[in-house]
Amino acid sequence: MFYAQLAVNGLVQGLVVGLGALALTLVFGIARFPNAATGDTMTFGAYTALTVHKASGSLALGSIAAVGGAAVLALLAYLTVFKRLAGRSVVSLLVASIGIGFMIRAGLGVAFGHQQQVFNVPLSRPIRVAGLAINPLDLQLAAVAVVALAAVFAILYLTPIGRQMRAVADNRDLARVSGIRPERVMTAMWLIAGGVSAVGGMMLGIKTIVSPEVGWEMLLPVFAATILGGIGSPVGAVVAGLVLGVAQEVSTPFVGFTYKIALSFVVLLAVLLVRPRGLFGRIEGVR
Amino acid sequence: MDAYLAAIAIIALIYMLLSLGLTLQYGLTGLINFGHVGFFAIGAYTSALLSLQGLPLALTIPAAAVTAGLAAWPIGLISLRLRDDYFAIVTLGFSETVRLVITSEKWLTNGVQGIPGIPRLFETISVGIGAQLAVMGVILVVTLAAIYAMRRIVASPFGRVIEAIRDNEEALQALGKDPAGFKIQVLILGSALAGIAGAFYAHYITYIVPDQFIPLVTFYVWMAIIIGGVGRVSGAIVGTGLLMLFLEGSRFLRDIVPGVSEVEMASLRIGVVGLLLVLFTIYRPQGLMGDFTKR
Amino acid sequence: MSLQVTDISKAFGGFKALSGVSLEVPMGALVGLIGPNGAGKSTLFSVISGFMPPDEGAIGFDGRSLDGLNPAGRARTGLVRTFQVPREFAHLTVRENMMAAAPGQTGESLVGLFFRPGKVREEEERLAEEVSEVIRFLRLDRVADEPAGKLSGGQKKLVELGRALLVKPRLILLDEPFAGVNPVLIGEIMERIRELNGRGIGFLVIEHDLEALTRLAPQLYVMDQGRILTVGAPEAVLADARVREAYLGGAV
Repeated sequence: MFYAQLAVNGLVQGLVVGLGALALTLVFGIARFPNAATGDTMTFGAYTALTVHKASGSLALGSIAAVGGAAVLALLAYLTVFKRLAGRSVVSLLVASIGIGFMIRAGLGVAFGHQQQVFNVPLSRPIRVAGLAINPLDLQLAAVAVVALAAVFAILYLTPIGRQMRAVADNRDLARVSGIRPERVMTAMWLIAGGVSAVGGMMLGIKTIVSPEVGWEMLLPVFAATILGGIGSPVGAVVAGLVLGVAQEVSTPFVGFTYKIALSFVVLLAVLLVRPRGLFGRIEGVR
Repeated sequence: MDAYLAAIAIIALIYMLLSLGLTLQYGLTGLINFGHVGFFAIGAYTSALLSLQGLPLALTIPAAAVTAGLAAWPIGLISLRLRDDYFAIVTLGFSETVRLVITSEKWLTNGVQGIPGIPRLFETISVGIGAQLAVMGVILVVTLAAIYAMRRIVASPFGRVIEAIRDNEEALQALGKDPAGFKIQVLILGSALAGIAGAFYAHYITYIVPDQFIPLVTFYVWMAIIIGGVGRVSGAIVGTGLLMLFLEGSRFLRDIVPGVSEVEMASLRIGVVGLLLVLFTIYRPQGLMGDFTKR
Repeated sequence: MSLQVTDISKAFGGFKALSGVSLEVPMGALVGLIGPNGAGKSTLFSVISGFMPPDEGAIGFDGRSLDGLNPAGRARTGLVRTFQVPREFAHLTVRENMMAAAPGQTGESLVGLFFRPGKVREEEERLAEEVSEVIRFLRLDRVADEPAGKLSGGQKKLVELGRALLVKPRLILLDEPFAGVNPVLIGEIMERIRELNGRGIGFLVIEHDLEALTRLAPQLYVMDQGRILTVGAPEAVLADARVREAYLGGAV
């Protein structure tokens, strides 16, 4: 029972990680590099939502602004930087993405300062379901996440552009030969990745706090989830995120509060060394 | 000599040791180590804790090097199994995990509160400018020794092999040489240098907290070697100089331009580092070794 | 005593790159391996040299099985490969490229380099002479101190050959030595190969350029779609209808 409660507590965290991992796995699978700016994009989403929420009182408006803003931010990063590095080594793209993450974090730090901020959401009493205490806020956040995930999966599996994105992830050369225009795929990918990161960041901000570092601190769990789920597998990313989120909470009684983040590192290492493919991935080239 | 200049010199020398270590690992061997600050931290805490137990610095500083070097050994083993971008991610995770361990193991490290009162070099002799110059002298000698060792390595068959690993690892294998041992040695050596730097750092500022050992430090060093010119010892020296210019210059700027708070300057620094990383990746790939090969 | 490739199969996912490939290169022989694009020639080289494990089959060299040996280990038995796209150490000079190849250098260990400088210097001097000879042999004198990355494709291939020579190989797997090389240099490279073969070094040469290879190798294996089609002297092989069909039917 106790563990079941911890598991429930871990679900929202798991969704946050899963959303970040989804953004990361999309870029990793289609653009073929690890985008270290994912975390800071999440932070950007959190701040955008926070600002709009403060100004308008509406979380819905806040989320729309966050998704839109981060999507544009991600696309801008692509157009100004990543596009110019197309064809260069993965490491170049990785280093550039770290630079971009830093710039986003710097901008947020200058604009909003370093103190932690919180969303002004009404406190709610947990409701009891089957002996477990569930926070209504968590339910709302989970609902938002599910909606976002549903939207992304709908795009990926039900629309032409989504099919093209998956084709490029599967086999880039074949995709190019079959007439898929890379520009459109890239644009769609970056917009989606940015938007998804924003939802995750916003959830994180609402559930915990908003500060310039929150997204970067998520980077390790997000990477771990992406790799655990299998690079390029959207389903894998979300599932792995949930698994990690729950595992982190459930492990807390054993390893202590701060170490639950170290769990991500251990998972990351273990997967890369033992089964690089992860749970659902196909790409094997970790070596 | 001005106390301020001596202070800057000491920090510069500490960064120089870090740059030399990273030059050995990335510039010469091509290993993407994003966890450099982790070994810096291990060195700092090792020497600090041992010295507070009463051991003389002449022992604790080498101990710091050894501990940091040993910690690099499993990282070296991991480097053999992973492609360079995955290795980069793992090393980043490593340094963050080190910071996490330092933050959590309060019984050992005093956690977030940090360790105050770390003995200085020459603490018993005197305080003030004389002692500071002596400290600078010691670190200078060590740094010069490190530079000398690096130059010897670069000019040696060992240096040739590690550069061959950087340029084309599989070709080296096809010639009958296993890169494994070399990579491990390079990671250990470079990390030992970081450990020594950490020890000097601890004994200089006398109060260390986990927050001083964040990835930003790693990327300061990356920026230094990229700007200075990757793969050359002279590049590490020039790059460190430019880094110090940047760090001190930005502090100076803050003194002149009112209305920029400490935290804002911290953010601006991060932003500039980010911008420089992006610019150099795009426009000066030789900063990332791109003349002949498509890197 | 030779290279024995027995029944090698290798599949990538659903695609069968190699099916039951067997061939033999007697010690000191000069054997060619031809076939249209995609026949699996380079894959075979990767398997033989240890860069890729086969799904089935065995490789023996000099009477010993190469099973379980990684690429470096295989090279140390005297089996050295070069690469289709040259893999020079771009930031090292031509001279340094070759010096890096020589085995058994004391200066390659940290202990050796710091604690036995005299011995290291001695070895370096001897090595430098040996390398100079190889450079002279390959007519690379003029570019000897240029960074290898700046050389032309053909020169890079010569550098690879030079590096291989410093390992004192008994059999060199030469992957498309003439591809992308200007015709004058092709003649040079061919001469060098003949001379080396004359000194007792065996060669297994992949070439796409039929004309060049038939002038070079007295025996040719023909591969198509992952299998050995036939083997024999160049005239016989080229007259074989199946070979012509493979080249015309596939990519020419």
